[in-house]
Amino acid sequence: MLYALMGLGLALITGILNIPNFAHGALFAVGAYFLVSVISAVGNFWLGLLIAPLGVALLGLLVEYLGIRRLYAAGHDYQLLFTFGLALILNELIIVVWGPVGISHLPPAALRGGVDLGFTFYPKYRLFVMLMAALLVFLTWLFLEKTKYGAIMRAGIENKEMVSLLGIDIHKLFTAAFALGAYLAGIAGALTAPIRGLSPGMGVDMLGIAFVVVALGGLGNLLGAIAAGLLIGIAQAVVAAYWTEASTVVIFAVMAAVLVVRPQGLFGIR
Amino acid sequence: MRAAILIAFSILLLPVIVRPTMASEIWIFAIFGLGLNLLLGYTGLLSFGQSTFFGSAAYVAGYLLKHHGINVVLALGVGAGVGALSALLVGYLCVQRSGLYFIMLTFALNQLFYFTAYQWTSVTGGEDGMPGIARPALLDDAYAFYAFVALLFVLALWAMKRIVGSPLGRILQAIRENELRAEAVGYHTARFKLGAFVIAGAFSGLAGVLYALLFGIVPLEAIGFVFSGNVVFATLIGGSGSLYGPVIGAFVFIWLSESVSTVWARWPLLLGVAFVIVVLFFRGGVVEAWSRLGSWRSSRQKTSASPSAR
Amino acid sequence: MALLETEDLRKSFGALTAVNGVSLAIEAGTLHSVIGPNGAGKTTLFNLLTGTFPPTSGKIFLEKQEITGTPAHRIAHLGLARSFQRTNLFPAFSLLDNVWVAAFARSGSWRGLAWRPAERYPELAARAGEALRDVGLEEKKHQLAREISHGEQRQLELAIALAARPRVLLLDEPAAGLSPEETRRMVALLSRLKGRYTIVLIEHKMDIIMSVSDRISVMHFGSLIAEGTPAEIQRNADVRKAYLGGVAA
Repeated sequence: MLYALMGLGLALITGILNIPNFAHGALFAVGAYFLVSVISAVGNFWLGLLIAPLGVALLGLLVEYLGIRRLYAAGHDYQLLFTFGLALILNELIIVVWGPVGISHLPPAALRGGVDLGFTFYPKYRLFVMLMAALLVFLTWLFLEKTKYGAIMRAGIENKEMVSLLGIDIHKLFTAAFALGAYLAGIAGALTAPIRGLSPGMGVDMLGIAFVVVALGGLGNLLGAIAAGLLIGIAQAVVAAYWTEASTVVIFAVMAAVLVVRPQGLFGIR
Repeated sequence: MRAAILIAFSILLLPVIVRPTMASEIWIFAIFGLGLNLLLGYTGLLSFGQSTFFGSAAYVAGYLLKHHGINVVLALGVGAGVGALSALLVGYLCVQRSGLYFIMLTFALNQLFYFTAYQWTSVTGGEDGMPGIARPALLDDAYAFYAFVALLFVLALWAMKRIVGSPLGRILQAIRENELRAEAVGYHTARFKLGAFVIAGAFSGLAGVLYALLFGIVPLEAIGFVFSGNVVFATLIGGSGSLYGPVIGAFVFIWLSESVSTVWARWPLLLGVAFVIVVLFFRGGVVEAWSRLGSWRSSRQKTSASPSAR
Repeated sequence: MALLETEDLRKSFGALTAVNGVSLAIEAGTLHSVIGPNGAGKTTLFNLLTGTFPPTSGKIFLEKQEITGTPAHRIAHLGLARSFQRTNLFPAFSLLDNVWVAAFARSGSWRGLAWRPAERYPELAARAGEALRDVGLEEKKHQLAREISHGEQRQLELAIALAARPRVLLLDEPAAGLSPEETRRMVALLSRLKGRYTIVLIEHKMDIIMSVSDRISVMHFGSLIAEGTPAEIQRNADVRKAYLGGVAA
């Protein structure tokens, strides 16, 4: 489910802004670390969950405004380098601020322990994350499908010139899209923190997975990204049960296999 | 001709100015960059997964060197071959897409190889890398190995020069300039792009084996995306528009990274900042800045401009 | 003998049928024009002929051999060369290189592909020079394609097609955006090429069409509504109706 969240955020950014966002994983990591800091400051998980992703969204806003905005005409190689540099900077800053050692963080008291599902004892927090992520995906989908602003964003993926011809400020659209994408990454990170703990490298691993999700779902296809995210998540869980080491590799292998058969991804249009 | 003299000088002077190990690393990185630039500068394909070929070749050749004691020349051949083969596989999946999709795919496939190397600890050593790669007695001395590397660099440079000056070079550039027209004129563009991939892979593989021999170890990073990003950065900084750009970029990058990393463990932070600054302010790289400087100077002197040779 | 023929060619994009059952026969050595108002499907027809996409149904024949569905990169090798409506060059290349690349593709042997310096192909250089001379751009051969004027670029567009030594030239609005003087030069060029090649021409400028065409086919909303000699077409009432009573200048 988290993969769907990450994939959706990245699909939004790549679809609307048409840039390769290699910092997406770093934004994920920042979200997690922000959560930890907010909690140590205010002592409340829920508040942290609320504030941390907003912080990431703000970061995204600044980044877009100060940097990415200047690069739309520059070509993918420079955009790549920029977001890649950004990822490096963020990763290193995390180490500088929070230290290179991983941090473990327990879920809030209310969500500890497990739930008896009959066939297995499932951690309460994981259930919460699944539901929360599903809710977020659903809300985002609602926003994109049902509201005017969402429609504008979707139109922006299809045809930017049209959107600007309709009098909508394309720059604001881009900033908003990037901020939204960053928010989704940030909250995914914040939600993950209590599950696997935090480490400075957590962003890097997520980045690859996010890319796989978007590639599988078909570039620019938001619904496809969601579906692909779910698919990947399930596939990984299944494999992890039998062959733990291969669980990450299998994600990429699945992508490669699908692309051999269907170069446009599962849901992309040729 | 001027370039050849400059290169010859650099080869001779470099080990005097810096440690021979670092000098070797520069030429190795230059070979790596030459391969990438065939894709990036000449064909217009931003491959963000070159470390796949670099690392795979290093691992395979390293393994054979370590456990089967093959000779160095064979190792180099194996490296180039593995690089070319992995590039064939990766390229086949990637050339069918373009633009953003292409970049993301090269990255994602790079990650596939990375995680495979990470998990397959019995063969690759995982996070610890594959140590214990020995050089033959003849090349054990740092200076002797440097000479070996420099020789291979010259060969690689000559080979690349021939390639880009050949019809293939023209065809790849035509694909970059206008893929639709190149196709209409009769070129199976996907096949040519794949060809460029394979050549770039071979160069990367060669560089990978040399890297393993230089440091005696294949670190996991050699197949990681940071490595891929480094070579892109170095090539862009040197200027992707010319044959020698990657060479200049290798100089700049290796020198910078070696100098700074000894001072601060958080060196990647500065690297990231450097990326950002270069992108925002110094596009076109050193070569372009140099030629712009040159044309500014010649317009000051009011001499007639000579047609630029490609 | 009909060199290039189509049989009930159809192309639909979803609900839109761009080419609707077009059957054409182009005689060898003639200049056959395809005209029609904007959106009539002319460029789509060309795209079908040059393999940019396959037809939804129907067939294409070259010298009685079926070539339907041949992909774009093989079409050039069958002897069909095309120029584009929107100038489609290699901007950073010199004029000579632009044409050279096209000539190389059709040179039959790719010996030395990755090895021989591109300058060492004298036959190709000669052929490239010839193509440039045909369109009158030989003196500028070392200039970059992006530096020459629009009119000259349209000429280069043609030269690239010529360099492939094709049997059939498919020219899509070669006079687009040209000044009256440049248009006159283009007409002279087309007349010079007329005997040597079989030409299929799309154009909007009626004076060009009427002066160089041997036969004219008229398309409207994807279908062929008339075909004949220039004189016959000028008299045709359906054609006048399609153009809304006026002759486009």
